[in-house]
Amino acid sequence: MSKSHHVEKATGVGDPQCFKGEAPAAKFKVGDKVRIRNLPDIFYTRSQMYLREAEATVVKLVYESPPAEDEAWDNTDSPEWFYSLLFKQTDLWPDYPKKFETDTLETELSERWLEGI
Amino acid sequence: MSTRENIMRHLNIVGQLQPALHQPQHAPTGDLIDNAHFRAYTRTSHDVGGEADVPITWEEKEEEIWEHNTFVTCEVLAWRGVWNAEERRRRQNVDVGQTIYLGMPYYGRWLMTIALILVDKQHVKLTELIDKIEEVKQRAKKQDGQFYDAKGHDL
Amino acid sequence: MSNSDNHDHKAAPMVDEISDFEALEVAVRELCIEKGLFTQDDHNEWTEYMHTLGPLPAARLVAKAWLDDDYKQLCIDDPVKASLEVGINWITSMPSNFGTPSDYCNPRILVDTPTLKHVVVCTLCSCYPRPILGQSPEWYRTPNYRRRLVRWPRQVLSEFGLQLPEDVEIRVADSNQKTRYVVMPVRPEGTDGWSEDQLTEIVTRDCLIGVAQPRADRKADDKRPIIRAVHAYGH
Repeated sequence: MSKSHHVEKATGVGDPQCFKGEAPAAKFKVGDKVRIRNLPDIFYTRSQMYLREAEATVVKLVYESPPAEDEAWDNTDSPEWFYSLLFKQTDLWPDYPKKFETDTLETELSERWLEGI
Repeated sequence: MSTRENIMRHLNIVGQLQPALHQPQHAPTGDLIDNAHFRAYTRTSHDVGGEADVPITWEEKEEEIWEHNTFVTCEVLAWRGVWNAEERRRRQNVDVGQTIYLGMPYYGRWLMTIALILVDKQHVKLTELIDKIEEVKQRAKKQDGQFYDAKGHDL
Repeated sequence: MSNSDNHDHKAAPMVDEISDFEALEVAVRELCIEKGLFTQDDHNEWTEYMHTLGPLPAARLVAKAWLDDDYKQLCIDDPVKASLEVGINWITSMPSNFGTPSDYCNPRILVDTPTLKHVVVCTLCSCYPRPILGQSPEWYRTPNYRRRLVRWPRQVLSEFGLQLPEDVEIRVADSNQKTRYVVMPVRPEGTDGWSEDQLTEIVTRDCLIGVAQPRADRKADDKRPIIRAVHAYGH
């Protein structure tokens, strides 16, 4: 019986710490503007629909990890960089009141979901 | 229609796909399902951010013994390497499908997911699971329908 | 039943006497043990670990940060290290020694300012920083909260009794991956000269999620109706 990766890889180290150094060089840096790709979300995703095709600013490179779509089948072959992204609420929602123009939303996505603009 | 408008339209559609008796579907032919509805039916059920909903009374809840035990079992299964939490979430929050997702209690899905992973990963045969549930129920009948004592320990 | 239950939602009585949920719970746990997937001792040990969890360590982290700018910076730069100082080791405090399977080891402290207010949700499930904050509240897990907070944060916050002026930026943090967020609110007025213990008392769970602001006269979260359990777990 094969055991989930945590038991072998993360004991004493933690997760996502155990994936440090395994991702290819980060494609984006803090301050970059990105658009969220509207990839097919068949069967599983942790990239929310309400973000798709919206623009965001990279505010932090948070950690390396397998994308959730792979980790959900216990596949840890291809870690990638995860980014914390800042969105303007008025960009996300057509009905967001303009008087609260400065309101924002922050969330994390893995690199595959981002394209530079 | 812009791509963000498509996204908003998706949210409108899925916001209405909740267990209900007024939109019966009996496996329509492919030509009747446009891409927006293909996307809606194959959506991941857990992705609810931005759907419309009404103000409700915010409530706290006492935890049931079975809910506590279920949570602990899920964590211990991951601790002992049977699954990782993301596998659990995928099965529990998406694989269950839209009707179970909104129809069953929160911890009901955690519990069903434990049962299914035991069978899927072939630790237990489905017939063994069925027999065990039946055995446990028969045992409980002899205990006035009770499974736990006042302290939450198994009877 | 009693007068004190007037405002609480009562658990609906089961139609049958045998609860399918309880039967399934016992069945799968017994099978896991019979098949050697874990032991009853393992289960008990994790239960004991859960008993240690609650919002006090996170409250103390905030109180310490209010009193010490260097510690506040540590909370921003290295939250795992900052958590150690309130007795929480995100990697080894729990029996697994790799963090809790569901909460991982990447806490982040979201620092409010007078013009920036954070509030946390997990739209996809109900991810929550359990090792430092305890179990999540029921309302946080509801599809309703998860649907609405990201899109109508000011409406939802006003339902929690929090209304903020338009010159305050509200930032919703949607914890959809491995990071777990704790909000560090702004230290309220009327707390000059307070000790760490006194400050800890007013940083309640709802303040750490971001749906309430700490106040000098507020030592408990707002009372809400409580859905009663049929067979309540109580330790």
